[in-house]
Amino acid sequence: MTTPVTERPPKPRNGWKAVAVLAVIAIITIWAGIGVDADLGDIIDNWGNATGKLVQLMQPDYWFFPETVDAILETLQMAFIATAIGAAISFPLSFAASRVTNPNRAMLAAVRAVMNVVRAVPDLLYAAVLVAVVGTGALSGILALIVFNIGIIVKLVSEALDSIDRGPQEAALAAGGTWIAANRSAVAPQIFPAFVSQGLYTLELNVRASAVIGLVGAGGLGMLIDNVRTFYKYHQLSLIILEILVIVLALEMLSSWARRKLVG
Amino acid sequence: MNGDRIAFENVSVTYPGGHSALDAVSLEIPAGQMVAVVGLSGAGKSTLIRTINGLVPATDGTVTVGDRTLNNLSARQLRDLRGDIGMIFQGFNLAKRTSVLNNVMMGRLHSSPMWRTLLGAWSAEDTELGMQALERVEIVGKAYQKASSLSGGQQQRVAIARALAQEPRVILADEPVASLDPPTSHVVMRDLQRINVELGITVVVNLHFLDLAKRYGDRLIGLRDGKVVFDGHGRDADEAVFESIYGRSLTAEDVLEAGFSRNGAEL
Repeated sequence: MTTPVTERPPKPRNGWKAVAVLAVIAIITIWAGIGVDADLGDIIDNWGNATGKLVQLMQPDYWFFPETVDAILETLQMAFIATAIGAAISFPLSFAASRVTNPNRAMLAAVRAVMNVVRAVPDLLYAAVLVAVVGTGALSGILALIVFNIGIIVKLVSEALDSIDRGPQEAALAAGGTWIAANRSAVAPQIFPAFVSQGLYTLELNVRASAVIGLVGAGGLGMLIDNVRTFYKYHQLSLIILEILVIVLALEMLSSWARRKLVG
Repeated sequence: MNGDRIAFENVSVTYPGGHSALDAVSLEIPAGQMVAVVGLSGAGKSTLIRTINGLVPATDGTVTVGDRTLNNLSARQLRDLRGDIGMIFQGFNLAKRTSVLNNVMMGRLHSSPMWRTLLGAWSAEDTELGMQALERVEIVGKAYQKASSLSGGQQQRVAIARALAQEPRVILADEPVASLDPPTSHVVMRDLQRINVELGITVVVNLHFLDLAKRYGDRLIGLRDGKVVFDGHGRDADEAVFESIYGRSLTAEDVLEAGFSRNGAEL
C-alpha cells in the first residue's frame, strides 16, 4: 500500500451544459414547427390521396426505360464534364484560399469572400439564372454545376490545406523557392489524395444535383422528371427515381474503389 | 563548392508576443568551419540558425553570410541567398507522398524556371545533381521510392541530399538527430562531417546532446536564454561550462550514449 501524494480531485459537474443545449435545440425546433404551421394532421387528411400515388410509385414502369437512356447519358456526361472542369479550376484556387499556402493576406481575404458568396447561392438558383441566360439544355446545367463544384471543392480542399504539415513547405522556402514553387513541390503532393477524394465525391453530388437542376430546364434526368411529373405519370417517375438510386450507388462504389487505389 | 563565412553583430530577436529569443549575439564563424550549437530547448538555438537564412528575421543587429547582409535584401535577393544555404530539420520535412528524387529536386527550386517546377519536368542537369547528391549519402538506390517508405535515418539522409543538391556554401542543421536512435545519429553526423571536410561547406548544427557536439564540432557554442555563454573548443567544455549552459550539473540524460559508456566516459 502506498499513500496517495495528493487528494483525488472532485469530479467536475458540467452535465447541466448538455441538458441546457438539448433544451435550447428542442425549444427552437418547436418554435420553428409552429412558425411554419406544420400540422401532422395533414398527413392523415391526405392519406387516401397519397396511398394511390405511393402504390403507383412502388410499381416502376420498366418499359419506359428506353426513353430514359438519353437523359441518363446526358446526366452522366454533364456530371463528368462539370466535375472535371470544376476540379481543374478549384485546385489552384484552393491554394489561394488557404492561409497556409497564400502569404498575401489581402488576396486571401478577397478569395475567401468571393468563395463564400459562390457557396451561399444554391445550385438551383444558378441553374435558373443560367437557363435564362444561355437557354434550356445541358450547357446551362453544366455551367451551373461547375460553379457549384468550385464552391464545394475549394472549401473542402482549402480547409484540408489549413491543417497540413508545414514542414516540407518550410524546407522548400528555405531552399530559396518562391511560395508558388514551394506549394507545388512540397504541398501539392501531400494534398493530392484529399483533392482526388473530394473530386470523386463531387461527381456523386453532381449526378444528384443534375436531377434537381433539370427541373428548371437545365438538361439531364431532371428535365425528364419535370415532364413525367407534370402529366402525373407516377409509374415512369418511379423508374427514374430507381435509376438515379442505381447510378448513385454504382458511382459511390466506383469512387470508393478509385479512392483506395489512388490514395492508398 | 566552398564555404561562406557567417557573422553576427549584436543580433537580437524578439517574437511578436514579446518573447526575447536572442539577446545581442555576436559571433564570427569562418568559412568552412563546422560549429555545434548546444543549449536547452528554448535557449534560442533554432532562432539563431533561422536568422542565418532569414526564416526568422533579426529584430536588431546584422547577420552577414559571405558578403551579403540579410537586413536589407529584397525578396528576390533573399531567395538567392537561401539558394546558397541548405537546411536540415529535426522532423526531416520531406514531402512523404512523393518520390525521394522529387524531394531532392526541391533543392533545385531556386534555379529552376517556374514552368519546370509546375510541371515537375526537371532538366537533365538538375536530375544529375540530385542523383549525385543521393550517391554522396549512399541512398541513390531509393531514388524512385516514396519518401514515406524510408526509415527515419534514411529520410534524414534524403534531406541532406536535398540540401546538397542546392550546391550550398552553408548548411544549417536544426537538431538533425533528435528523432533518431544513437547508431543512426552517428551515421547522419558523419555524413555532415564528411560534407564539411570534403566539400569545405560551412556547417552550423544545433544539438541537444553534448557528447555529439564535442565529437563532431570543430567548435562548440553554448547558448542560454538567448545569450552566448560558451564559445570555444569542445575539449575546453568542462563541468563548469556545462553548468553555465544547462544551469545544472551533467546527468546521464544529457549524453546520447549514456547506456553504452560508463559514467559518461565519452566526455
